[in-house]
Order: sequence, then C-alpha cells, then structure tokens
Amino acid sequence: MIVAKQKPIEEIIEGVRDYEKILIAGCNECVTVCEAGGKKEVGILASALRMYFMNQGKNMKIDEVTLERQCDHEYLEELRKIIDRYDVVISLACGAGVQFMAEKYFRTRVLPGVDTCFMGVTEERGVWSERCQGCGKCILGETAGICPISRCAKRILNGPCGGSTKGKCEIDKELDCAWQLIIDRLNELGRLDDYEKIIPIKDWSTERAGGPRRVVREDLRL
Amino acid sequence: MDERKAAYIEYAQAVPLAFAIDPDTCIGCGLCEAMCLAKAINYDDTERRTTLSVGALILSPGSQGFDPSGLELLGYGRFSNVVTSEEFERILSASGPYRGHLMRPLDREGPRRIAWIQCVGSRDVNLCGNGYCSSVCCMYAIKEAMIAKEHSHGELDCTVFNIDMRTFGKDYEKYYQRAKDKSGVRFVKSRIHTIDEVRETGDLSIEYVDEGGELKRETFNMVVLSVGLRIPDSLLDLARRLGVEVNKYKFAATHPFSPVSTSRPGIFVSGVFQGPKDIPTSVTEASAAACAAATVLAEARGRDAKSIEMPVEIDVAEEEPRIGVFVCNCGINIGGVVDVPAVAEYAATLPNVVFTDQNLFTCSQDTQDKIKEVIKEKNLNRVVVASCSPRTHEQMFQETLQACGLNKYLFEMANIRNHNSWVHGNDPETATNKAKDLVRMAVARANLLKPLKEKRIPINRRGLVIGGGIAGMNAALGLADQGFEAVIVEKEAQLGGLARELTTTIEGEDIQAYLYELIEKVNQHKMIQVLTESLIVGFTGFKGNFTTEILVGPRMYERKIQHGVVIVATGANEYKPKEYLYGQDPRVMTQIELGKRLEVKGASDLKRVVMIQCVGSRNEENPNCSRVCCQSAVKNALHIKELNPDAEVYILYRDIRTYGLLEDYFTEARRKGVAFFRYHVDNPPVVESAREGVIVTFKDHLLQRDLQVPADLLALSSGMVPEDTEELASILKLPRNEEGYFIEAHVKLRPVDLANEGIFLCGTAHSPKLISETISQALAAASRATTFLSQPEIVLSAVTANVDQDRCAACLICVRACPYDVPRVNEKGASEIDEALCHGCGICAAECPAKAIQLNWYEDEQVLSKVEALLEGVL
Repeated sequence: MIVAKQKPIEEIIEGVRDYEKILIAGCNECVTVCEAGGKKEVGILASALRMYFMNQGKNMKIDEVTLERQCDHEYLEELRKIIDRYDVVISLACGAGVQFMAEKYFRTRVLPGVDTCFMGVTEERGVWSERCQGCGKCILGETAGICPISRCAKRILNGPCGGSTKGKCEIDKELDCAWQLIIDRLNELGRLDDYEKIIPIKDWSTERAGGPRRVVREDLRL
Repeated sequence: MDERKAAYIEYAQAVPLAFAIDPDTCIGCGLCEAMCLAKAINYDDTERRTTLSVGALILSPGSQGFDPSGLELLGYGRFSNVVTSEEFERILSASGPYRGHLMRPLDREGPRRIAWIQCVGSRDVNLCGNGYCSSVCCMYAIKEAMIAKEHSHGELDCTVFNIDMRTFGKDYEKYYQRAKDKSGVRFVKSRIHTIDEVRETGDLSIEYVDEGGELKRETFNMVVLSVGLRIPDSLLDLARRLGVEVNKYKFAATHPFSPVSTSRPGIFVSGVFQGPKDIPTSVTEASAAACAAATVLAEARGRDAKSIEMPVEIDVAEEEPRIGVFVCNCGINIGGVVDVPAVAEYAATLPNVVFTDQNLFTCSQDTQDKIKEVIKEKNLNRVVVASCSPRTHEQMFQETLQACGLNKYLFEMANIRNHNSWVHGNDPETATNKAKDLVRMAVARANLLKPLKEKRIPINRRGLVIGGGIAGMNAALGLADQGFEAVIVEKEAQLGGLARELTTTIEGEDIQAYLYELIEKVNQHKMIQVLTESLIVGFTGFKGNFTTEILVGPRMYERKIQHGVVIVATGANEYKPKEYLYGQDPRVMTQIELGKRLEVKGASDLKRVVMIQCVGSRNEENPNCSRVCCQSAVKNALHIKELNPDAEVYILYRDIRTYGLLEDYFTEARRKGVAFFRYHVDNPPVVESAREGVIVTFKDHLLQRDLQVPADLLALSSGMVPEDTEELASILKLPRNEEGYFIEAHVKLRPVDLANEGIFLCGTAHSPKLISETISQALAAASRATTFLSQPEIVLSAVTANVDQDRCAACLICVRACPYDVPRVNEKGASEIDEALCHGCGICAAECPAKAIQLNWYEDEQVLSKVEALLEGVL
C-alpha cells in the first residue's frame, strides 16, 4: 500500500484561502486504509475548513466527494460534470492521484491534501513502515525476504556495515539493522551459507536513478 | 445512626426505589397525602391476606448482623467510638449519616487509627453460642479498611485483629495481599476480649497477646466490630410453620449432595439461611434453588404466563412523517421549572409535527392509553416524548407504539428532566429555552427515522456441557430434568472427573456411592447424550445457535453438534507438589492420596502424622487460596483419630480456613487432640528423610523455638490447579485469569455467566470449591441456561452495524476496532458484520475511514440532524 499522511491544516488553509469554491476529493484505496484520505478524512477536513472560514467571516462553498480510485481515468471521469463548479480541488489521494487529476482537468487547480510517504505496511493500527522502494529489480529472493534497499539506511547489498550495534542501526536506536534481520532469517531458514555469497553491484538503471519509468505490457494492450 | 424523616427512601440502591412512611416517626399530619400529585398515599391501607397455590417454595429470607450489645467487655453501646461493621459501612457510604466523610461518632473527628476486631459473634461457643464462621467478615473488614484509607484526608492506620484471615473466595487472597503489601493495612493475630475507653479523649485502648505470647496495649481512635451473620428467631418460627428442619445454629438443614433442598420436598433454600456465605455464592445459590424448583415444576412451565398480542405492523415507510410530541410535567420535576405548555406550543411549530400535548405523568398507564388513542386518531407515524431518561422509559414507550402497530424504532425521546430541569432548577427561563432546543433536536431526528426490522431467530433447545465431572453431570441433569436435551463432552474414557479420586465428604458422606448413582442417572437419562474420549476442535455461531465440532474417541470420528447454550465445567485437579520431598519419599503424600490410604489401609500403623497446609497455594506461583485444603486436612485428621485415637496429628498451617459450618469440624479436631501450629510463609517447615520417619522441623511461636518431629507420614495439603483449557479457551474465545480459571461476566452479580452470551460456567473451572458448592453452581448454570433456552426465539435488536460493501476498502479497521470480534472480511473482499453477533456499540461505524458502515437507528444523518437542529439559526 502507498502510505500517506495528512498535511498540516495550516498549509491547506494557506493554499485555498483565496478561493471561494472548493472540492475535497478523497480516494477509496490506499489512503483510506492508511486513514489519511478516505471519505471520513474528507468529511473531517471539510468540517475543519468550514469552521475556520466561518470564524473568519468568509462564505466558502466546500463540497465533498470520494472516488473509488484517483489513478484510473474512468473513476476520475466521474468529476467531469461538476469540476467546473469549483475554483480548486484538494485531492487527498497519493501523489499519483493528485497528478492524474491535474492532468485530466487541466484548467482546474489541484492541490495535494496529503504528503505521500512510501510503499509500506500497517505494523499495527496507527503505525506504518516502509518496505519497498520500487527499484525495478527485486532481490528479495537472495536476501531472505528482507529488502536491504528499502530497509537499510545505506542500501548496502553486502552488509551489515560498522554502524550496526546489537541489531540496531546507528541512525536510530529504534530501527532494526536490515542486515541483522537478513542474517537472523537466513539462519532460521538454514541457509546461512547464502550469506557468504557476494551480491554483485546492482543495476540502478531500473530504479528512479534511471529517470521516470513506465511499464508497457504489449500482451495486455487493447 | 442518624435521625430519619418520616417519609424516606430506605437506601440509595433500594428496589423499588420509592418512598415509604415510617409509622414510628409519622405524626399523621396528612400533608403528604394532600400534596402527592400521583395520589399514591393511602393512610387507610390495611393488611390483606392472600392465598397463593404454588408447586414449589424457595426460602431466601437472609440473616441479621450479630448484635454485640450482649458482649459487655467489647463496650458496644457504652463507648461511642465502638461501632459495628454494618454501622461503619454506613459511615463510609455517600448516602450515609456523614455523607461518606470518615468521622467517628463521638466528636465527628477524622480518626487516625482504626482497629477491626474479627469474629464478633462468630467462632465463639463460649459467649454467644455461635460456633460457626460467618465467612464474610474477613473480606468485608479488609474492604472497609481499604475504603477507609481512600476516604481519609490524612494518614490512616488500619489494624485488623484476627484469629485467621479467611480470604478463601476466588481472587480474595490477592485482595488480602494487596491490602497488606500495597495499602499497608496491618493484620495482627490475636483474639480481642476487652476494649477500654480512654475517658479524656474517647479513644479506645486494646490489650492483647501477640503471637509470641507477649502482652501489648495499643490505643485507637475508633474500633469496628466485625459482626457475624445470624439467623433471627423469627425465621425459626417460619421454618417450624413450613415444616423445614434447621440445624443447631438455626440454618436450614441441607444434605451436601442436595445443597439447596430442605428437609421438606418441594421447599428449597438459598442464601445465608442455607449457611453463612458471601454475595457471589448467594447469587449462585439463588439460581440453583430456581433450577431445583423449576425441575419440580417442569411440566407446568409457562402455563400461567400471559402473552401479549401485538397488532400487525402498519407500513409507514412511504408516508410523510406525521409526528406527535408529548411533553411531560413529571409532577413538578419538570413542570416546576420548565414552562411545559410553552414547550408543547413551540413543538407544534416544528416540521411535520401534527399533534402536541402535555401530561402530568407521561409514563402513567392512563397517559399511555391516551397516546394510543391519539396515534390512531391522528394517524401519527412518529412519536417524540419529552420527559426523562430513555434508559428507564424508552422501552415502555416503544411498547405503546407497538400496541398501535407502529414500528418501535419510530420513537425518539428528549430528556428534559435529568439533562435540564434537574440541573437548571434555579433558572426557569433558560431551562424552558433548553427544553425547546432538546425537543427541536428530537423532532429533527424523528423526521429521519425509518422502521427497522428485528430479526427473530429460533433457539436450538439443546445444551452442550463441556466436562463430565460432578459439575458437568449435575448441570446436564439440571437441563435434562427440565426437559432440555444435554450433550456431555468428556475428554476421559469415563465420567466422574476428580471425584473419582475422592472418598468421603467432611460430613462423612460416601462420594463414590454418590458418584455411581449420579453416573447411572446421567447414563439412563433419555435427554442426555454422553460423548467420552472426546475433544472439541471447532466452535462457531452465536447464542441460541452454536455449532461445535467434536472428535469422538476412541476412533476419533468427527461430529458436529448444534446447540443453543454451552456450560463450561472443565474442572480442576489436585496440584502435584514439587515441595517437601513429594515423589522422593513414599511417606510423603497429598491429602487425596491420604484419604484413599486411610480407606484402604486404615491408620493402625500410624503413630504420628504431620500435615502441611498451603502447598502450591498462596505462593508466588499461585497467589490464590485453594479453599478446600484446610477442610481436607481436618477431615483426614479426624478420620485418623477415629481409626486410631492414639495417633498424633500435627497440622502446620498459615490460616485455618474452615469457613461457615466447617468450623465445627475444626473445633472437633482440636477437641480430639489434633495439634495445630502456625507457620510463617517466610519461614516454612523443613522436611528431611530419615530411617525413623520423615523429619519435619518448624518453629513453635509460643515456645519461640524450633521443634523437630519425626512422622510416619507427611500429608501435603496441596492446592488445586485448573484443568489445562488453553486450547479450549481459544476455540471458544473465553477469557481466563492468570491462573487459568475462567472469568465470569460479573464477580458478584453474574457469577455463573460468561461475558460471551449463551455460555455459562460452573464447578472448579471457575475456582476451587467443595462438592456441595460445585453442585449448587452446576444447578445455577443450568438454571441460567434454561432461562435462555425456554424462550421460543430470540429477538435481536435492530440496532446493529451495516456495511455498504461497495464502499468498503477492506482496510480491516473495523475488524481490529470491534471489542466483540464480529466483523470479518469476506471472500468478496468486503467487511461483513453478523447482525446476530453485533452488539450495536457503533465503534466500527465511527472508525470506518471509508464511511462504509452505518449503525441502524443512529445513522450519521440521524445523529447529525440533531446537531444541525441545535445550531439552527446560530450559524
């Protein structure tokens, strides 16, 4: 899941202060699950803005909508008929959703309502953590199912480094050393010999470093 | 302790909570009769005789606190600051004479030092003839000391003078330890005979001999006499008239294997009249007596019950709302503050309100009839009552709607009393405006109410009993004798459980003969099915409709049983000691083993027997008292003395806990020469093996030196450990405490119910207990179960959560948030909430980030409409 967190209300207010007609658009996928941009959050943000502007003596039209997904044309099309009624849209989707909406509705200003953080998991309610950086070439098979790219501060492929102390990373006492986890799990799997194998230099061209990426599946195209 | 007015409410929690007139104080002025708006006072009322024809009788007449006036040396009645424990309860009570402030009677000063004197009127054959232990005083003394410390403004020193602390109930020992270690309550082992008053101060001086035999004197600001329970003479008279036998202490005579049956068939007994006991045991016994009575009356069940015919529901879903608003004066409760006519008039101006009225008492029968007429005459399809709390009156008004064919969920209340007139009594104008606001909010919601359908589910009238020991078998018979099928699931090859190892009760009753008869009865009963060598592997469903998967031995084939209730009776075992050379020296054995040995080999070869109490109980590993081991030791000691009067028996104990009528056996043991020595937990006896015997070394506190005794046999009074039910508990999702005993729904008020509806608990799976107590509890569990099973169907509240599955993001937040573990994400990837399991708490609806969940009757729109109506015109 893509994990996002709500932007500070002050920042959102600053962004919409000069407008009069606002649409807040939620997304029923990842941001709903991480409790940052679902229908409930849309309602809460709308109420907060209404209260704020009412106190300011400013009459604002603030409407709410939540789409199934903002990263698909068909769902975004649902806004076609109403989008012109608004000066600005606050999208509570991830960065992908915000951009796709902005691409589609070229003349309407679209503002992000959340800060998109990472691809990760729900550790427990209210706690999310990163698991994947989308490097384009997965090596989890070699690293006992634990990703050194997303979970090691240095992204090293043959760790641990000298900063690993009692299983924790030097950048944060709370943070597990990814390589300690890898070694522990290899041991558990009875494959500690694999640790001796040197992982070769990674081809980073499939990663962000190689520029913006696309996936094209000719077999699926219509 | 204080003057009482002529018109009074007995105490704040009295049922019914209504005023009474004390004829001793009333001067008959007639003012109340003239003032009473409800015309409830009738001076000319006279006693009436009524004859009822009944098939069974249950005696629960209770008891009285012992009156210590006769024990002159304690000074009660002479010294103001000596009070009984009952009076001290009143002192601590917020509704008591000092409004809950801790003060002593003489000068209303806050005491700094209080002493409790235990066993006043109990365990005392010499001065009052009450040889029994009252069972409850140790616990209430600790409780009073703890609460007194909370109520005290400064440091408070609490001392409890006792012979033994008898905290034998479930988790009671933990409470005692907490009082001692955490709250600093001091416990002194000494029986107090004399209290003197210090004349200048009103303080009280107590002289006592401590455990070392040293004479001491201490002064306290106040003394509380922990008075015991006694049966008043008036009950003796009742028992005589009913032909019910009583024992020498005037408690009803019962048999250990039929603990709630009196000597006269058809008459049953529960509570303290059966024997001294605490609240949980009394509540349990009350249910047990109900079971015994219902068994006799099984054929007649429901014959005299009146059923109410409800008209067919009118379909109003498509109609425009037509709302009737009824505003209540509640006598002067509301009308004395709020301008009720103005509120009613205002209500008439609200949207879709077609009728308004005001009533003196909207809850009275004649007003109900009036409302019914109006509903029909004006075609009302929504009703709002502005009066008091829905908690007490909603159901009644809903029944009024139903009687007119209106769905009961088309009703709304505005609480203009508790939330308004009672708190704004000094500002009538504001209160009237607030009443209007509350009514406007209620009408707004009423406009949006929809009829809801309550699901009716037939109840499977079969009960599943887990465990085939004395508890399980009695519970199964309790069901079956009332005409309900029972299935016993026993993991062993034979029925009987721990009782198979036991010989006789302390009263001398043959347990094996009883067990044989009980097993026969169970096996012969056509309504009982017994599955032995069986294991529960799956459990689904809800109250009234459970399905349990069982592997049935010896071939372990799988069976599925449908049933409406579960009774958990998994039992407990004797702890196998690791202490005192058990298992290493054959002369060391447990009390159960000793019981069997005495039966088989007698005691003629025993010259000296030592017993050690609290083995595997009251220690770090198992902080609780195992309740039964003191009486086991006394029982076996008496048996040894009976078989071989010359044998010496030494019992090393911490507190002897022969509660209730068991105390007589303790007295008898001492009389027969059984020697009792107290040991301290931090200085336990030391045991060594030697050729001449098992050498036991312990400290004698009176001699202040160690004694060494070679014994032919060392009996360990080992405690109880619950059967291993970890897996069962996880399959049935039942809560257990740290020691592995199941946790009842409410310690005092629902002692045999589990929090999971439709599941009940009895026997030693609940906590250690005697056979007679186990039988009572088994009957109680059966009674609670049949109360539920005897209904034809269950009506489920329509106030449950609903998932809009198209909107559900399957985020699992409802699954995690539900305190009852109800929502599931189904194969379609959406949350599903079983309305039969949903408690309607609304947590999931509030938490759902996709807003895909709504709680019926409290839909967002309905709740928010009230907020909007409140703020109407303000924004």
